[in-house]
Amino acid sequence: MGLIARSIEAAGVPTVTISLAKALTEAVGVPRAIFVRWPLGHPLGERQQPAQQRTMIFAALRLLLEAKQPGLIAEPGYRWKRETYTEPDWDQLIGE
Amino acid sequence: MTKKLTLWERLSQQFFAVPAVAQLWAKRTAQQTNQLVALVDGIPFARLRKPLAQCRVALLTTAGVHLHNQTPYNMENPDGDPTYREIPTDVALDQITITHKYYDHTDADVDLNVVFPLLHFRDLVEKQVIGSLAPRHFGFMGHIDQALINVLNQQTAPEVAAKLRADQVDFAFLTPA
Repeated sequence: MGLIARSIEAAGVPTVTISLAKALTEAVGVPRAIFVRWPLGHPLGERQQPAQQRTMIFAALRLLLEAKQPGLIAEPGYRWKRETYTEPDWDQLIGE
Repeated sequence: MTKKLTLWERLSQQFFAVPAVAQLWAKRTAQQTNQLVALVDGIPFARLRKPLAQCRVALLTTAGVHLHNQTPYNMENPDGDPTYREIPTDVALDQITITHKYYDHTDADVDLNVVFPLLHFRDLVEKQVIGSLAPRHFGFMGHIDQALINVLNQQTAPEVAAKLRADQVDFAFLTPA
């Protein structure tokens, strides 16, 4: 995933990447990544948990807007199946 | 449709589904990747040129997502498959399937948003948080090793990057598996 992100970014298109494998993301040098220590196969979280999935999207979009340098790995620290999620406040992203 | 996995493949998926194991695997793979690919110094970085509400987004995933009527990813080659599949943005979700034996996609089979959040992004466009969706998205199969990493790096990934440019994509949202 990281190599693909690099190729796209090198072509001038910004990327934001969810990471489930921190060491790999660090080693490859991903332009912007958001790392969660969750089981493989679940980058957006659990099935049928839209608030959780949308929280990850929100966090990724925030990173896309806020990252000022390459190689940032954001770590929101969400614990697997031990968090309560609510629908993100999308208005915070509008106008940014 | 999905080919039955061997017992070993199922056990292996369960083993790697443990986050601590996955992180150890990531460390090992990171070392191997460093030996296999000579990364250019520095990390490429492009800036967002517009407010989100005017941006066009494309989704990319290495979760093995493709359409039923497309050739599945190659599961026979132990070095994986560096090719990609184009997913039209207006596709009906029941046209999408997953071919990938290196992770447990039981949950993603039930709810595609777990790996490929097309429905959420359609909704964000409707809510005008994001401007628009690209006409096509891109599926890869994340298990790629040895010489095939170079095919990805030198051929298929740059090809997709050029297609994103052609589609006037403002940013790409990438999900692994």
